[in-house]
Amino acid sequence: MVASIVPQLVPAFYSLMYTTVLYGGLIVAFIGLIGIAMEKRDIQVLILTDIVGLAMLIIVAAVGTDLSEALILPGLVVELAEIMAISEILISHEMRKKDVHTSFTPIPLNIDMEIMTTAPNFIALLLIGYGVFLSGFTGGAVAGGGIVIYVLSRKVRGLPVVVLDGVGAISGISWCLWIIGFLFFFILPQYWLLSLFLAALGLLLKVASKIGLIGIMMREEYGRK
Amino acid sequence: MFNLALWVYVGLTLAIFGSLATVWGPGVKDPVIRTINTEVASVGVSLILLTYNSTLALLTLISTTIIVTLILFRAISRLEEIGADV
Repeated sequence: MVASIVPQLVPAFYSLMYTTVLYGGLIVAFIGLIGIAMEKRDIQVLILTDIVGLAMLIIVAAVGTDLSEALILPGLVVELAEIMAISEILISHEMRKKDVHTSFTPIPLNIDMEIMTTAPNFIALLLIGYGVFLSGFTGGAVAGGGIVIYVLSRKVRGLPVVVLDGVGAISGISWCLWIIGFLFFFILPQYWLLSLFLAALGLLLKVASKIGLIGIMMREEYGRK
Repeated sequence: MFNLALWVYVGLTLAIFGSLATVWGPGVKDPVIRTINTEVASVGVSLILLTYNSTLALLTLISTTIIVTLILFRAISRLEEIGADV
């Protein structure tokens, strides 16, 4: 019955291993959920959610086609954002309960390296150029890394609020480009190349500007004397 | 050629043993040890993704694993600084 559902283009190895990997993922999820049920302290439960997320990855990866890859990427990003947000909530909850304040980072952030004063221009240009060449989500991450290096090297200090707002606006407009490109795929399929480039460059600008904004905010947070 | 099934089995074994080590392993009352133990399971998942040719997913998994570990360490040390029950 199962063999008739699986399309012919799926390699035989993937459909052969499907049941094994699925049960393996379910076992990992079961172990992780038992651990969560037994644990009382919040931070331990947060660490154990990681295991359940890994089990989710195994189950999705068992499909073994491009579809699984397309589902794993947002799954990973959502898991990352979730752990980031819940750890922040946990910390502020404990801070309110004990009525004490802690530092933003546990370690002093000291980036007084020689490379930060001599080479950031070149490294940032290289990273942004390579990111634009890559395009899409990966290119956005690479170009954003270049912007973060440039910003963290304190070449530009005290950016006015207008610039911050401008970077946010670029991010929003490029998001619209991505959506338009996505719509064109369905409405006007003959312009697939145009919509592909709209989506790729929109995502590039979006991710790069978002990562750059995070870098600017980090710098403003640490640079405050 | 490689025996592809072997890689999947090794990956699954690592994932299951890693999750067992995270839940019941020695010294997991300390959250730092528990966080490091999750890496074993994540290496197992990496092997499975490697067998299934999911390059982008593998690269993203590696980078998010590093970031998640950093976030958890920061949360643990800040909670200990506050003096909460970790």
